[in-house]
Amino acid sequence: MEVLQYALRKLVSGIPLILGVTFVSFLLMVYFGPDQTYQLLGKNPTPEQIAEVRHQLGYDQPFLVRYADYLRELATLDLGHSDSTGEKVSVLLGRTIPVSLLLVLPGFVLGNVLAIMLALLAAHFRSRWPDKLIMGFSVIGMSISYLIVIIAFQVIFSSSYGLGIFPVRGWNVHSFADYFNYVAVPTMATVFVALGYNTRFYRSVVVEELTRDHVRTARAFGAPPAQLLYRDVLKNCMIPIITRVVFSIPLIVISGALLVESYFGIPGVGKVTFDAITTGDQPVLKAVVGLTAVMFVLAQLLTDILYRAVDPRVSLG
Amino acid sequence: MPQVSKLWARRRLAATIALVGLAILTGCGAERDARTSAPPTAEGRALKVYRHGMDESPTSLDPVQGSNVYANHVLINAYDTLFAYKYLARPYEIKPNLADGWPTISEDKLTYTIRIKPGVHYVDDPAFPGGTGRELVAADIVYSLKRHFDPATRAQGAWLWQDRIVGLDEWKSAGSDYDAEVEGLRALDRYTLRIKLTQPYPQLLDTLAQGYASVVPREAVEHYGREFAIHPVGSGPFRVVSYDTTRIVMDRNPDYRQEPVDLAAEGYDPATQGGYGLERIAGRSPPFIDRLEIHFIGENSARWNSFTKGDEIQYTQVPNEQVDQVLASKQPVRLRPEYAELYHVYAGTEAGFIFQTFNLSMPEFGYNPDPERERRNKALRCAVIKAFDWPARNESFYAGIGQVFPGIIVPVVPEFDPGLSRESVTRDVEGARRLLAENGWNAENLPVFTYGTVAGVINRLMYEQFRAGLKQIGYPPKKVVLKQYATFGDISKAWKQAELPWVVKGWGLDYPDAENTLQLYYGPNGSPGSNDANYHNPEYDRLYEQARVMLPSPERTQIYRRMNRMVIDDCLAVTGMARTRIYLWHKDVIALPDREIVGGFFLKYVDLEG
Repeated sequence: MEVLQYALRKLVSGIPLILGVTFVSFLLMVYFGPDQTYQLLGKNPTPEQIAEVRHQLGYDQPFLVRYADYLRELATLDLGHSDSTGEKVSVLLGRTIPVSLLLVLPGFVLGNVLAIMLALLAAHFRSRWPDKLIMGFSVIGMSISYLIVIIAFQVIFSSSYGLGIFPVRGWNVHSFADYFNYVAVPTMATVFVALGYNTRFYRSVVVEELTRDHVRTARAFGAPPAQLLYRDVLKNCMIPIITRVVFSIPLIVISGALLVESYFGIPGVGKVTFDAITTGDQPVLKAVVGLTAVMFVLAQLLTDILYRAVDPRVSLG
Repeated sequence: MPQVSKLWARRRLAATIALVGLAILTGCGAERDARTSAPPTAEGRALKVYRHGMDESPTSLDPVQGSNVYANHVLINAYDTLFAYKYLARPYEIKPNLADGWPTISEDKLTYTIRIKPGVHYVDDPAFPGGTGRELVAADIVYSLKRHFDPATRAQGAWLWQDRIVGLDEWKSAGSDYDAEVEGLRALDRYTLRIKLTQPYPQLLDTLAQGYASVVPREAVEHYGREFAIHPVGSGPFRVVSYDTTRIVMDRNPDYRQEPVDLAAEGYDPATQGGYGLERIAGRSPPFIDRLEIHFIGENSARWNSFTKGDEIQYTQVPNEQVDQVLASKQPVRLRPEYAELYHVYAGTEAGFIFQTFNLSMPEFGYNPDPERERRNKALRCAVIKAFDWPARNESFYAGIGQVFPGIIVPVVPEFDPGLSRESVTRDVEGARRLLAENGWNAENLPVFTYGTVAGVINRLMYEQFRAGLKQIGYPPKKVVLKQYATFGDISKAWKQAELPWVVKGWGLDYPDAENTLQLYYGPNGSPGSNDANYHNPEYDRLYEQARVMLPSPERTQIYRRMNRMVIDDCLAVTGMARTRIYLWHKDVIALPDREIVGGFFLKYVDLEG
């Protein structure tokens, strides 16, 4: 009951955040985003035809009227049609978000779980060779551009110039074997890069925790290292870990993974979002921005509830 | 006990997560399977699937918005057009397609009566009563062309017929009521169409071969509404079964009319096209493949990896960065042996060109109230043109295989003049310096030169090369300013609003007639039209108006060439280069790919070995 009340309060208090985010984003879209008029015109347009297209796009309406329409669309979940393809935005997102989720989920989970394990190991062997090895690997992961990693992994694992054991691109998923086939190389690339950032972050959290009195006491009482790291350190590190993990989720759900989707030919939401940004497809952009704001409010709520779950001292008041 | 129940709770949670994941996975797979499944072949053989690689995706599959070659690759294969381009004839030649022979043309060249083939049916679709595709009739063509004049459709092809067909513009002004008759566009009976023109229009048949002229059924447009743009319902050789941002899947239309290929009529030339196995399609009716997949792969490396993998896409245009690795010789284009063993190659000159033009509405470079300044401006423009280094541009960005030519009549059209002086495309630094000095230009009084481009590494390098060229004629580099735009839409807006003094552009021919590029300098087409130069020359306009109603003839060619000369003499543009495109396709594919003019009309004729 306490959690439910808290959730309702939090959701209500999230409304100003959603209004703020959508207002600023819409302002940027309207005044600084691409003007789609000129992409929808034929080769020798007359001023009348330009006016017609602007009218069709709703560009001739006052800003506040357009913003009010936007809020109504969000509230009713009637997100309109894409200006580019004509497809219903709700159908478009419903079709592409699950694909992106399936694509990024393994990399997201592995990238975090492995990073936490490596961070515990590095912190435990702080300043010794395992720590240096892991941190060196992290720096490499952080230093190489994601794009380079994708291209290199595609050449190594998928192309005829390399091992050629996975498809270069595509998404014909009918079984788990297909899924594994298509997701393996993108996942390896994602994990390679994510491990760098995640391991460094989690290591610093763990190192700080290792200096706490209760850890020193447990160590003095002869707690075995594995038990010490799991019971006394990891559990107490969960709050920053949860914060990082949960707040990554909205971006994963809505933004997808543009580069991976483009290079591996995966029909996810990342490419849809990117195309909408570059072409100024406002119905799609409005939906993506609105849903991202809502997801962040939900992530904030979920984070607070998880804080309470891992640390009963945390109050939901 | 509490420990045990906790354990069970965790296991239940894990099992639930796994089940949900599996459900998403299998659900997703099942949906895709249904969307992409093709009926098994009657002969029980394996499906013939051809996978085509394309560097961009179409934005809309509604014919009224089919504004580029990417959309046309789909449109003209999903829909029928009255006319089409011959598969193999070069220069390009038009032929009847849905039209049952050539039209009857009145003496005054103003009335075209076109018979269409009876018995052509749309593919089955829920839009039709009972889901069975009905017969295509002449009224569908009337409806399809009218859609371009309906503001609600956001049509982009109206410019092809604007002011050309009697009553069509008035029909639009009166509210675009589809049930209202248009005098110049009538279905005389089920199979006869009559088009009445306001003035002779020699390119009319070419316009009726465009993706824009695809014939659509009204029921489908009304059934799908705005989503008609992702649900093509046509009578073409293929039907669309699925479409997303990465590919489109089209299955053979089993009811497509039987029209055996006559290779000679299609323009087959054994001397130049003899090595591709095309003889094997002679006498057979297309389409020959069961499934056509077009994969949209913008990234060159991914497209190349997919093509060379062997079991993915079977066709690609060779990216510039691969040209040296793949070719043993550029002139003529010849593959290295290891590639020649695996792939067919074809090198073709693009039907279009790249050029850079001054915007004469800017008083700094163009028309000026002061006649003396206007004269000096012309000298300045001529100096800039002399400073441009075409060979360097070609070598740096187009693998050195582009075809540089003077003027705006491109090499693929019959009116091209190979004997035209190449002075305007020959670098002359000393001449440029002399021109500037003789006309009173110096580092202090030269105007700021704003070079607009879409943000990107290649574009930035092009700008740097251009600026370096100007520096050599004494143009201070700090006065050559780069203005970057985030998207093509943004720079397109700047061009249409005549905000930039210099327009860097490519132009793809809509039809193989020099009129299509000469209209780029026709006065009434000034901004926001395609005359980005805002060139207004009464003599040029008069010649254009005279030639636009003439049928192809030596006299018309002479007029075209006079206009071309004016563009060169008035120093309007750094022009031009037609890029050479090199296509590779797997040896088991029987085809002669070509993405020029309309785009993708060869796909209907693709076959596979075995």
